[in-house]
Amino acid sequence: MTDPIVIVGASHAGVQLAQSLRTEGCDVPIRLFSDEPFLPYHRPPLSKAYQIDPEARVMALRPESFFETSSVDLRRATRVTAIDRAARTVTAGGETFDYGTLVLATGAVPRRLEIESDRVLYLRDRADADGIRAHLRTAQRMIVIGGGFIGLEVAAIAAKLGLSVTVIEAQPRLLARVAPPELSAHVAHQHKAAGVGIRTGAGVADVTESGGEVQVTLTDGTTLAADVVLVGIGSLPNTGLAEAAGIDAGPQGIVVDAHLRTSDPNVYAIGDCVSFPCVQSGQMERLESVQNAADQARSLAATLIGAPAPYTALPWFWTDQYDMKIQMAGLPGAGSTTILRGTPDSGAFSVLSFEGDRLRAAYSVNAAADHMAARKLIAGNVRFDPEAGRDTEIALKTHLNTNTPMPAATRAAE
Amino acid sequence: MPDAVTLTFRESNGDLTHVTAKIGQSVMEAAIMANVTGIEAECGGSLSCATCHVYAPDALVGPGDMEDAMLDDTASERRECSRLSCQLVVAAEMDGLTFDLPDAQ
Repeated sequence: MTDPIVIVGASHAGVQLAQSLRTEGCDVPIRLFSDEPFLPYHRPPLSKAYQIDPEARVMALRPESFFETSSVDLRRATRVTAIDRAARTVTAGGETFDYGTLVLATGAVPRRLEIESDRVLYLRDRADADGIRAHLRTAQRMIVIGGGFIGLEVAAIAAKLGLSVTVIEAQPRLLARVAPPELSAHVAHQHKAAGVGIRTGAGVADVTESGGEVQVTLTDGTTLAADVVLVGIGSLPNTGLAEAAGIDAGPQGIVVDAHLRTSDPNVYAIGDCVSFPCVQSGQMERLESVQNAADQARSLAATLIGAPAPYTALPWFWTDQYDMKIQMAGLPGAGSTTILRGTPDSGAFSVLSFEGDRLRAAYSVNAAADHMAARKLIAGNVRFDPEAGRDTEIALKTHLNTNTPMPAATRAAE
Repeated sequence: MPDAVTLTFRESNGDLTHVTAKIGQSVMEAAIMANVTGIEAECGGSLSCATCHVYAPDALVGPGDMEDAMLDDTASERRECSRLSCQLVVAAEMDGLTFDLPDAQ
Protein backbone atom coordinates (compact mmCIF):
# COMPACT_ATOMS: atom_id res chain seq x y z
CA MET A 1 0.00 0.00 0.00
CA THR A 2 1.19 3.51 -0.77
CA ASP A 3 2.17 5.63 2.21
CA PRO A 4 -0.51 8.13 3.14
CA ILE A 5 -0.60 11.79 2.26
CA VAL A 6 -0.78 13.71 5.52
CA ILE A 7 -2.13 17.27 5.40
CA VAL A 8 -1.57 19.51 8.41
CA GLY A 9 -4.28 22.17 8.51
CA ALA A 10 -7.87 21.81 7.32
CA SER A 11 -8.90 25.21 6.08
CA HIS A 12 -9.27 26.41 2.48
CA ALA A 13 -5.91 25.02 1.33
CA GLY A 14 -5.94 21.68 3.12
CA VAL A 15 -9.53 20.80 2.29
CA GLN A 16 -9.17 21.87 -1.35
CA LEU A 17 -6.09 19.68 -1.65
CA ALA A 18 -7.93 16.64 -0.30
CA GLN A 19 -10.83 17.33 -2.61
CA SER A 20 -8.69 17.92 -5.70
CA LEU A 21 -6.65 14.79 -5.06
CA ARG A 22 -9.82 12.70 -4.97
CA THR A 23 -11.30 14.44 -8.00
CA GLU A 24 -8.08 13.72 -9.90
CA GLY A 25 -8.40 10.05 -9.06
CA CYS A 26 -5.76 9.80 -6.33
CA ASP A 27 -6.56 6.77 -4.16
CA VAL A 28 -3.74 7.11 -1.65
CA PRO A 29 -4.96 7.30 1.98
CA ILE A 30 -5.36 10.95 3.04
CA ARG A 31 -5.20 12.15 6.64
CA LEU A 32 -6.26 15.71 7.26
CA PHE A 33 -5.49 17.23 10.66
CA SER A 34 -7.38 20.20 12.10
CA ASP A 35 -6.68 22.07 15.35
CA GLU A 36 -10.31 23.07 15.53
CA PRO A 37 -13.27 20.95 16.66
CA PHE A 38 -15.51 22.09 13.79
CA LEU A 39 -16.02 20.90 10.27
CA PRO A 40 -13.69 23.03 8.10
CA TYR A 41 -15.46 26.26 7.19
CA HIS A 42 -15.39 29.36 5.01
CA ARG A 43 -13.32 32.10 6.64
CA PRO A 44 -13.95 35.23 4.55
CA PRO A 45 -17.59 35.64 5.67
CA LEU A 46 -16.42 35.77 9.31
CA SER A 47 -15.51 39.44 8.89
CA LYS A 48 -18.45 40.19 6.62
CA ALA A 49 -21.92 38.60 6.36
CA TYR A 50 -21.46 36.54 9.52
CA GLN A 51 -21.10 39.69 11.61
CA ILE A 52 -24.02 41.58 10.11
CA ASP A 53 -26.71 38.94 10.33
CA PRO A 54 -27.16 37.42 13.80
CA GLU A 55 -28.96 34.50 12.15
CA ALA A 56 -26.06 33.75 9.82
CA ARG A 57 -24.37 30.44 10.37
CA VAL A 58 -20.81 29.45 9.66
CA MET A 59 -20.75 27.70 6.32
CA ALA A 60 -18.87 24.42 6.06
CA LEU A 61 -16.47 24.11 3.14
CA ARG A 62 -17.76 20.60 2.56
CA PRO A 63 -20.31 18.52 4.47
CA GLU A 64 -19.41 15.66 6.78
CA SER A 65 -20.50 13.25 4.04
CA PHE A 66 -17.73 14.53 1.76
CA PHE A 67 -15.02 13.32 4.12
CA GLU A 68 -16.75 9.95 4.54
CA THR A 69 -17.51 9.24 0.90
CA SER A 70 -14.12 10.51 -0.24
CA SER A 71 -12.26 8.47 2.37
CA VAL A 72 -10.53 11.53 3.73
CA ASP A 73 -9.64 10.83 7.35
CA LEU A 74 -10.42 14.20 8.92
CA ARG A 75 -9.06 14.37 12.46
CA ARG A 76 -10.62 17.32 14.22
CA ALA A 77 -9.26 18.99 17.36
CA THR A 78 -6.02 17.14 16.70
CA ARG A 79 -2.93 19.32 16.60
CA VAL A 80 0.16 18.01 14.89
CA THR A 81 2.98 18.69 17.33
CA ALA A 82 6.06 17.24 15.65
CA ILE A 83 7.49 15.98 12.38
CA ASP A 84 10.13 13.26 12.24
CA ARG A 85 11.50 13.65 8.72
CA ALA A 86 13.87 10.70 8.93
CA ALA A 87 11.13 8.29 10.01
CA ARG A 88 8.53 10.12 7.86
CA THR A 89 6.04 10.39 10.68
CA VAL A 90 4.08 13.11 12.42
CA THR A 91 2.95 13.15 16.02
CA ALA A 92 -0.62 14.28 16.67
CA GLY A 93 -2.79 13.84 19.73
CA GLY A 94 -0.16 11.54 21.26
CA GLU A 95 -0.22 9.17 18.29
CA THR A 96 2.28 8.68 15.49
CA PHE A 97 1.22 8.64 11.85
CA ASP A 98 3.28 7.60 8.83
CA TYR A 99 3.41 9.69 5.71
CA GLY A 100 4.75 9.26 2.23
CA THR A 101 4.07 12.89 1.44
CA LEU A 102 3.53 15.59 4.03
CA VAL A 103 1.75 18.85 3.22
CA LEU A 104 1.89 21.81 5.57
CA ALA A 105 -1.20 24.03 5.28
CA THR A 106 -0.80 25.57 8.68
CA GLY A 107 -1.99 29.08 7.85
CA ALA A 108 -1.18 32.19 9.80
CA VAL A 109 -2.09 33.87 13.07
CA PRO A 110 -2.82 37.54 13.75
CA ARG A 111 0.03 39.70 14.96
CA ARG A 112 -0.82 40.52 18.53
CA LEU A 113 -0.32 43.44 20.87
CA GLU A 114 1.34 42.81 24.22
CA ILE A 115 -1.80 43.50 26.23
CA GLU A 116 -3.93 40.49 27.16
CA SER A 117 -7.54 41.57 27.55
CA ASP A 118 -10.92 40.15 26.61
CA ARG A 119 -11.72 43.61 25.22
CA VAL A 120 -8.84 43.46 22.76
CA LEU A 121 -9.94 41.30 19.85
CA TYR A 122 -8.39 39.63 16.82
CA LEU A 123 -10.04 37.90 13.92
CA ARG A 124 -8.82 34.69 12.41
CA ASP A 125 -11.07 31.80 13.29
CA ARG A 126 -14.61 30.99 14.21
CA ALA A 127 -14.09 31.47 17.94
CA ASP A 128 -12.69 34.96 17.28
CA ALA A 129 -15.64 35.76 15.03
CA ASP A 130 -18.14 34.67 17.67
CA GLY A 131 -16.41 36.88 20.24
CA ILE A 132 -16.57 39.88 17.93
CA ARG A 133 -20.19 39.16 17.11
CA ALA A 134 -21.08 39.26 20.79
CA HIS A 135 -19.14 42.48 21.43
CA LEU A 136 -20.70 44.20 18.42
CA ARG A 137 -24.09 43.75 20.05
CA THR A 138 -23.14 45.17 23.45
CA ALA A 139 -20.34 47.68 22.85
CA GLN A 140 -20.97 51.31 21.95
CA ARG A 141 -17.48 52.44 21.03
CA MET A 142 -14.91 50.50 19.03
CA ILE A 143 -11.36 51.35 18.11
CA VAL A 144 -9.89 49.48 15.18
CA ILE A 145 -6.12 49.34 15.15
CA GLY A 146 -4.97 48.78 11.58
CA GLY A 147 -6.56 50.07 8.38
CA GLY A 148 -6.19 46.88 6.35
CA PHE A 149 -8.87 44.54 5.02
CA ILE A 150 -9.85 42.89 8.30
CA GLY A 151 -9.91 46.12 10.27
CA LEU A 152 -11.92 48.00 7.67
CA GLU A 153 -14.41 45.19 7.15
CA VAL A 154 -15.12 45.04 10.87
CA ALA A 155 -15.20 48.85 11.10
CA ALA A 156 -17.81 48.96 8.35
CA ILE A 157 -20.00 46.44 10.12
CA ALA A 158 -19.60 48.09 13.50
CA ALA A 159 -20.60 51.44 11.99
CA LYS A 160 -23.59 49.81 10.32
CA LEU A 161 -24.64 48.36 13.68
CA GLY A 162 -24.53 51.81 15.22
CA LEU A 163 -21.24 51.74 17.11
CA SER A 164 -19.02 54.78 17.30
CA VAL A 165 -15.89 53.64 15.45
CA THR A 166 -12.38 55.04 15.07
CA VAL A 167 -9.78 53.44 12.81
CA ILE A 168 -6.13 54.03 13.63
CA GLU A 169 -3.59 53.42 10.89
CA ALA A 170 0.15 53.98 11.21
CA GLN A 171 0.67 54.52 7.48
CA PRO A 172 -0.30 57.81 5.84
CA ARG A 173 -3.32 56.15 4.19
CA LEU A 174 -5.64 53.16 4.55
CA LEU A 175 -4.80 49.91 2.71
CA ALA A 176 -1.34 51.35 2.14
CA ARG A 177 0.36 48.02 1.49
CA VAL A 178 -2.29 46.57 -0.79
CA ALA A 179 -4.01 49.30 -2.79
CA PRO A 180 -3.20 52.42 -4.80
CA PRO A 181 -3.85 55.88 -3.28
CA GLU A 182 -6.99 56.43 -5.40
CA LEU A 183 -8.64 53.40 -3.84
CA SER A 184 -7.43 54.30 -0.35
CA ALA A 185 -8.97 57.74 -0.71
CA HIS A 186 -12.30 56.35 -1.87
CA VAL A 187 -12.45 53.81 0.93
CA ALA A 188 -11.57 56.47 3.52
CA HIS A 189 -14.31 58.68 2.11
CA GLN A 190 -16.91 55.91 2.42
CA HIS A 191 -15.93 55.19 6.01
CA LYS A 192 -16.06 58.86 6.94
CA ALA A 193 -19.48 59.17 5.29
CA ALA A 194 -20.63 56.35 7.56
CA GLY A 195 -19.40 58.27 10.58
CA VAL A 196 -16.18 56.33 11.15
CA GLY A 197 -13.27 58.38 12.45
CA ILE A 198 -10.10 57.78 10.45
CA ARG A 199 -6.71 58.61 11.91
CA THR A 200 -3.93 57.85 9.50
CA GLY A 201 -0.25 58.38 10.20
CA ALA A 202 -1.05 57.59 13.80
CA GLY A 203 1.19 55.17 15.66
CA VAL A 204 -0.01 53.37 18.76
CA ALA A 205 2.21 53.99 21.77
CA ASP A 206 0.28 52.09 24.41
CA VAL A 207 -2.88 50.10 24.97
CA THR A 208 -4.23 49.68 28.50
CA GLU A 209 -7.44 48.50 30.10
CA SER A 210 -9.11 49.95 33.16
CA GLY A 211 -12.58 50.77 34.39
CA GLY A 212 -14.30 48.54 31.84
CA GLU A 213 -12.77 50.25 28.84
CA VAL A 214 -9.62 50.16 26.77
CA GLN A 215 -7.39 53.20 26.39
CA VAL A 216 -5.31 53.58 23.25
CA THR A 217 -2.55 56.16 23.46
CA LEU A 218 -1.17 57.40 20.16
CA THR A 219 2.41 58.41 19.53
CA ASP A 220 1.32 62.07 19.41
CA GLY A 221 0.11 61.76 23.00
CA THR A 222 -3.63 61.61 22.29
CA THR A 223 -5.54 59.00 24.25
CA LEU A 224 -8.73 57.46 22.88
CA ALA A 225 -11.04 55.15 24.80
CA ALA A 226 -13.46 52.47 23.68
CA ASP A 227 -15.42 49.53 25.02
CA VAL A 228 -13.62 47.20 22.68
CA VAL A 229 -10.58 47.23 20.38
CA LEU A 230 -10.20 45.19 17.22
CA VAL A 231 -6.60 44.66 16.16
CA GLY A 232 -5.90 43.99 12.48
CA ILE A 233 -2.20 44.65 12.04
CA GLY A 234 -1.23 41.78 9.83
CA SER A 235 -0.40 38.16 10.43
CA LEU A 236 2.47 35.82 11.06
CA PRO A 237 2.81 32.53 9.19
CA ASN A 238 2.63 29.36 11.28
CA THR A 239 6.14 28.09 10.66
CA GLY A 240 6.93 26.59 14.08
CA LEU A 241 6.28 22.99 13.10
CA ALA A 242 8.42 23.30 9.96
CA GLU A 243 11.24 25.15 11.71
CA ALA A 244 11.38 22.63 14.57
CA ALA A 245 11.80 19.91 11.94
CA GLY A 246 14.62 21.79 10.23
CA ILE A 247 12.60 22.72 7.16
CA ASP A 248 13.64 26.01 5.55
CA ALA A 249 11.32 28.68 6.97
CA GLY A 250 11.40 32.05 8.65
CA PRO A 251 9.34 35.13 9.44
CA GLN A 252 8.42 35.35 5.76
CA GLY A 253 6.91 31.87 5.73
CA ILE A 254 7.77 28.29 4.85
CA VAL A 255 9.98 28.51 1.80
CA VAL A 256 8.82 26.53 -1.22
CA ASP A 257 9.86 26.25 -4.86
CA ALA A 258 7.68 26.70 -7.95
CA HIS A 259 6.18 23.25 -7.30
CA LEU A 260 5.37 24.20 -3.71
CA ARG A 261 8.00 21.81 -2.41
CA THR A 262 9.88 22.70 0.78
CA SER A 263 13.57 22.08 1.44
CA ASP A 264 12.57 18.44 2.19
CA PRO A 265 11.54 16.71 -1.06
CA ASN A 266 8.81 14.75 0.77
CA VAL A 267 7.28 17.84 2.31
CA TYR A 268 5.19 20.49 0.53
CA ALA A 269 3.49 23.61 1.84
CA ILE A 270 0.50 25.62 0.56
CA GLY A 271 -1.64 28.60 1.48
CA ASP A 272 -1.14 31.49 3.89
CA CYS A 273 1.94 29.91 5.49
CA VAL A 274 4.19 29.78 2.42
CA SER A 275 6.71 32.04 0.79
CA PHE A 276 6.68 31.07 -2.88
CA PRO A 277 8.31 32.33 -6.08
CA CYS A 278 5.58 34.48 -7.59
CA VAL A 279 5.45 34.57 -11.39
CA GLN A 280 3.56 37.87 -11.44
CA SER A 281 5.87 39.87 -9.19
CA GLY A 282 9.07 38.03 -9.99
CA GLN A 283 9.92 37.71 -6.31
CA MET A 284 9.11 35.58 -3.29
CA GLU A 285 5.66 36.39 -1.93
CA ARG A 286 3.48 35.29 0.92
CA LEU A 287 -0.16 35.89 0.05
CA GLU A 288 -3.11 35.47 2.34
CA SER A 289 -6.21 34.75 0.35
CA VAL A 290 -8.71 32.08 -0.48
CA GLN A 291 -7.61 32.23 -4.11
CA ASN A 292 -3.99 31.58 -3.21
CA ALA A 293 -4.92 28.73 -0.86
CA ALA A 294 -7.29 27.02 -3.29
CA ASP A 295 -5.17 27.48 -6.41
CA GLN A 296 -2.00 26.29 -4.70
CA ALA A 297 -3.94 23.25 -3.48
CA ARG A 298 -5.10 22.47 -7.03
CA SER A 299 -1.62 22.95 -8.40
CA LEU A 300 -0.13 20.67 -5.77
CA ALA A 301 -2.78 18.01 -6.37
CA ALA A 302 -1.62 17.88 -10.00
CA THR A 303 1.99 17.53 -8.90
CA LEU A 304 1.17 14.76 -6.43
CA ILE A 305 -0.71 12.67 -8.98
CA GLY A 306 2.26 12.85 -11.32
CA ALA A 307 1.39 15.78 -13.59
CA PRO A 308 3.62 18.46 -12.07
CA ALA A 309 3.28 22.03 -13.27
CA PRO A 310 4.73 25.12 -11.62
CA TYR A 311 2.34 27.31 -9.67
CA THR A 312 1.45 30.34 -11.78
CA ALA A 313 -2.13 31.27 -10.88
CA LEU A 314 -3.00 34.95 -10.93
CA PRO A 315 -3.53 36.38 -7.44
CA TRP A 316 -6.90 37.97 -6.78
CA PHE A 317 -8.59 39.26 -3.68
CA TRP A 318 -11.85 40.80 -2.62
CA THR A 319 -13.29 42.80 0.23
CA ASP A 320 -16.84 43.92 0.93
CA GLN A 321 -17.41 47.14 2.87
CA TYR A 322 -20.74 49.00 2.96
CA ASP A 323 -22.04 48.99 -0.60
CA MET A 324 -18.56 48.56 -2.03
CA LYS A 325 -17.53 45.29 -3.57
CA ILE A 326 -13.82 45.75 -4.06
CA GLN A 327 -12.10 43.21 -6.29
CA MET A 328 -8.38 43.18 -6.94
CA ALA A 329 -6.40 41.20 -9.47
CA GLY A 330 -2.67 40.87 -9.98
CA LEU A 331 0.21 42.52 -8.15
CA PRO A 332 1.60 45.91 -9.16
CA GLY A 333 5.10 45.92 -10.59
CA ALA A 334 7.85 48.36 -9.77
CA GLY A 335 7.56 51.67 -11.61
CA SER A 336 3.90 51.18 -12.35
CA THR A 337 1.72 53.91 -13.75
CA THR A 338 -1.89 54.06 -12.69
CA ILE A 339 -4.91 54.92 -14.78
CA LEU A 340 -8.30 55.79 -13.37
CA ARG A 341 -11.16 54.14 -15.22
CA GLY A 342 -14.51 55.69 -14.35
CA THR A 343 -15.15 58.14 -11.53
CA PRO A 344 -15.04 57.33 -7.82
CA ASP A 345 -17.94 59.74 -7.26
CA SER A 346 -20.18 57.43 -9.29
CA GLY A 347 -19.43 54.63 -6.84
CA ALA A 348 -18.13 52.35 -9.61
CA PHE A 349 -14.61 52.61 -10.99
CA SER A 350 -11.32 50.81 -11.42
CA VAL A 351 -7.72 51.76 -10.87
CA LEU A 352 -5.53 50.06 -13.45
CA SER A 353 -1.85 49.63 -12.74
CA PHE A 354 0.36 49.29 -15.83
CA GLU A 355 3.98 48.55 -16.37
CA GLY A 356 4.61 49.95 -19.82
CA ASP A 357 1.70 48.72 -21.93
CA ARG A 358 0.98 45.69 -19.83
CA LEU A 359 -1.70 45.62 -17.18
CA ARG A 360 -0.19 44.33 -13.93
CA ALA A 361 -2.94 44.92 -11.42
CA ALA A 362 -6.51 46.17 -11.32
CA TYR A 363 -8.53 47.43 -8.37
CA SER A 364 -12.25 47.56 -9.05
CA VAL A 365 -15.04 49.01 -6.95
CA ASN A 366 -18.47 47.77 -7.97
CA ALA A 367 -17.04 47.08 -11.40
CA ALA A 368 -17.03 43.30 -11.68
CA ALA A 369 -16.79 43.35 -15.47
CA ASP A 370 -13.53 45.28 -15.23
CA HIS A 371 -12.24 42.86 -12.65
CA MET A 372 -13.04 39.76 -14.65
CA ALA A 373 -11.55 41.25 -17.83
CA ALA A 374 -8.48 42.38 -15.91
CA ARG A 375 -7.86 38.86 -14.66
CA LYS A 376 -7.64 37.67 -18.26
CA LEU A 377 -5.64 40.66 -19.50
CA ILE A 378 -3.06 40.28 -16.73
CA ALA A 379 -2.82 36.50 -16.93
CA GLY A 380 -2.54 36.66 -20.72
CA ASN A 381 0.11 39.36 -20.57
CA VAL A 382 -1.91 41.28 -23.13
CA ARG A 383 -0.40 44.56 -24.34
CA PHE A 384 -2.61 47.55 -24.91
CA ASP A 385 -2.48 51.31 -24.65
CA PRO A 386 -3.04 52.32 -21.01
CA GLU A 387 -4.87 55.44 -22.18
CA ALA A 388 -7.44 53.21 -23.89
CA GLY A 389 -8.13 51.71 -20.47
CA ARG A 390 -9.55 55.06 -19.38
CA ASP A 391 -12.41 54.90 -21.85
CA THR A 392 -15.38 53.39 -20.04
CA GLU A 393 -17.28 53.31 -23.35
CA ILE A 394 -14.98 50.48 -24.37
CA ALA A 395 -15.42 47.35 -22.26
CA LEU A 396 -12.09 46.31 -20.82
CA LYS A 397 -12.55 42.81 -22.23
CA THR A 398 -12.48 44.32 -25.75
CA HIS A 399 -8.71 44.70 -25.37
CA LEU A 400 -8.40 40.94 -25.11
CA ASN A 401 -9.32 40.64 -28.76
CA THR A 402 -7.67 43.68 -30.24
CA ASN A 403 -4.22 43.04 -28.89
CA THR A 404 -1.76 40.24 -29.26
CA PRO A 405 0.02 38.79 -26.28
CA MET A 406 3.78 39.01 -26.44
CA PRO A 407 5.34 35.70 -27.35
CA ALA A 408 6.32 33.79 -24.23
CA ALA A 409 9.92 33.56 -25.43
CA THR A 410 10.18 37.34 -25.55
CA ARG A 411 8.81 37.63 -22.04
CA ALA A 412 11.30 35.14 -20.70
CA ALA A 413 14.13 37.10 -22.29
CA GLU A 414 13.14 40.35 -20.63
CA MET B 1 -46.28 26.30 2.68
CA PRO B 2 -43.54 23.69 2.62
CA ASP B 3 -40.22 24.78 4.11
CA ALA B 4 -38.15 22.73 1.69
CA VAL B 5 -38.20 21.65 -1.94
CA THR B 6 -36.44 19.00 -3.97
CA LEU B 7 -33.84 20.10 -6.48
CA THR B 8 -31.87 17.90 -8.83
CA PHE B 9 -28.27 18.49 -9.90
CA ARG B 10 -26.97 16.79 -13.01
CA GLU B 11 -23.17 16.52 -13.06
CA SER B 12 -21.41 16.83 -16.39
CA ASN B 13 -20.96 13.02 -16.45
CA GLY B 14 -24.72 12.58 -16.16
CA ASP B 15 -24.82 11.65 -12.46
CA LEU B 16 -27.96 12.90 -10.77
CA THR B 17 -28.18 14.04 -7.16
CA HIS B 18 -31.55 14.83 -5.61
CA VAL B 19 -31.25 17.40 -2.87
CA THR B 20 -33.64 18.63 -0.21
CA ALA B 21 -33.18 22.39 -0.24
CA LYS B 22 -34.51 24.69 2.45
CA ILE B 23 -36.49 27.67 1.26
CA GLY B 24 -34.42 30.81 1.73
CA GLN B 25 -31.00 29.20 1.46
CA SER B 26 -29.01 29.54 -1.74
CA VAL B 27 -29.04 26.87 -4.40
CA MET B 28 -25.25 26.78 -3.99
CA GLU B 29 -25.49 26.04 -0.29
CA ALA B 30 -28.08 23.33 -0.84
CA ALA B 31 -25.78 21.67 -3.37
CA ILE B 32 -22.64 21.93 -1.25
CA MET B 33 -24.35 20.57 1.86
CA ALA B 34 -25.60 17.60 -0.15
CA ASN B 35 -22.02 16.95 -1.29
CA VAL B 36 -22.64 17.81 -4.92
CA THR B 37 -19.05 17.98 -6.11
CA GLY B 38 -19.51 19.89 -9.37
CA ILE B 39 -19.76 23.19 -7.50
CA GLU B 40 -16.74 24.77 -5.83
CA ALA B 41 -18.13 27.99 -4.29
CA GLU B 42 -14.67 29.16 -3.37
CA CYS B 43 -15.79 32.53 -1.98
CA GLY B 44 -18.56 31.12 0.17
CA GLY B 45 -21.36 32.85 -1.66
CA SER B 46 -20.19 36.45 -1.79
CA LEU B 47 -20.33 36.86 -5.56
CA SER B 48 -16.58 37.05 -5.91
CA CYS B 49 -15.26 33.89 -7.52
CA ALA B 50 -17.66 32.59 -10.19
CA THR B 51 -17.04 28.95 -9.17
CA CYS B 52 -20.65 28.00 -8.43
CA HIS B 53 -21.71 28.23 -12.07
CA VAL B 54 -24.84 26.26 -13.03
CA TYR B 55 -27.01 25.98 -16.10
CA ALA B 56 -30.35 26.91 -14.67
CA PRO B 57 -33.82 25.97 -15.88
CA ASP B 58 -35.43 28.53 -18.18
CA ALA B 59 -38.10 29.18 -15.56
CA LEU B 60 -35.69 31.34 -13.54
CA VAL B 61 -35.21 35.03 -14.22
CA GLY B 62 -31.83 36.29 -15.39
CA PRO B 63 -28.82 37.45 -13.40
CA GLY B 64 -28.32 40.87 -11.82
CA ASP B 65 -25.65 43.23 -13.18
CA MET B 66 -22.81 42.14 -10.91
CA GLU B 67 -23.61 38.46 -11.43
CA ASP B 68 -23.86 39.04 -15.17
CA ALA B 69 -20.35 40.51 -15.16
CA MET B 70 -18.93 37.68 -13.07
CA LEU B 71 -20.45 35.14 -15.46
CA ASP B 72 -18.17 36.55 -18.14
CA ASP B 73 -15.27 34.59 -16.73
CA THR B 74 -16.61 31.19 -15.83
CA ALA B 75 -14.27 28.26 -16.41
CA SER B 76 -16.84 26.54 -18.63
CA GLU B 77 -18.79 27.96 -21.53
CA ARG B 78 -21.35 30.59 -20.62
CA ARG B 79 -24.82 29.91 -21.92
CA GLU B 80 -28.04 31.87 -22.00
CA CYS B 81 -29.17 30.00 -18.88
CA SER B 82 -25.89 30.40 -16.93
CA ARG B 83 -26.26 31.54 -13.35
CA LEU B 84 -24.16 31.67 -10.22
CA SER B 85 -25.95 29.38 -7.81
CA CYS B 86 -24.98 31.48 -4.77
CA GLN B 87 -27.30 34.17 -6.12
CA LEU B 88 -30.28 31.84 -6.57
CA VAL B 89 -32.46 31.73 -3.48
CA VAL B 90 -34.44 28.53 -3.05
CA ALA B 91 -38.17 29.23 -3.36
CA ALA B 92 -41.31 27.10 -3.31
CA GLU B 93 -41.74 27.45 -7.08
CA MET B 94 -38.39 25.75 -7.62
CA ASP B 95 -39.64 22.36 -6.47
CA GLY B 96 -38.63 19.67 -8.94
CA LEU B 97 -36.24 21.81 -11.00
CA THR B 98 -33.04 20.35 -12.42
CA PHE B 99 -29.76 22.28 -12.58
CA ASP B 100 -27.03 21.16 -14.93
CA LEU B 101 -23.45 21.51 -13.79
CA PRO B 102 -20.61 22.55 -16.08
CA ASP B 103 -17.58 20.28 -16.46
CA ALA B 104 -15.27 22.78 -14.79
CA GLN B 105 -15.51 25.59 -12.27
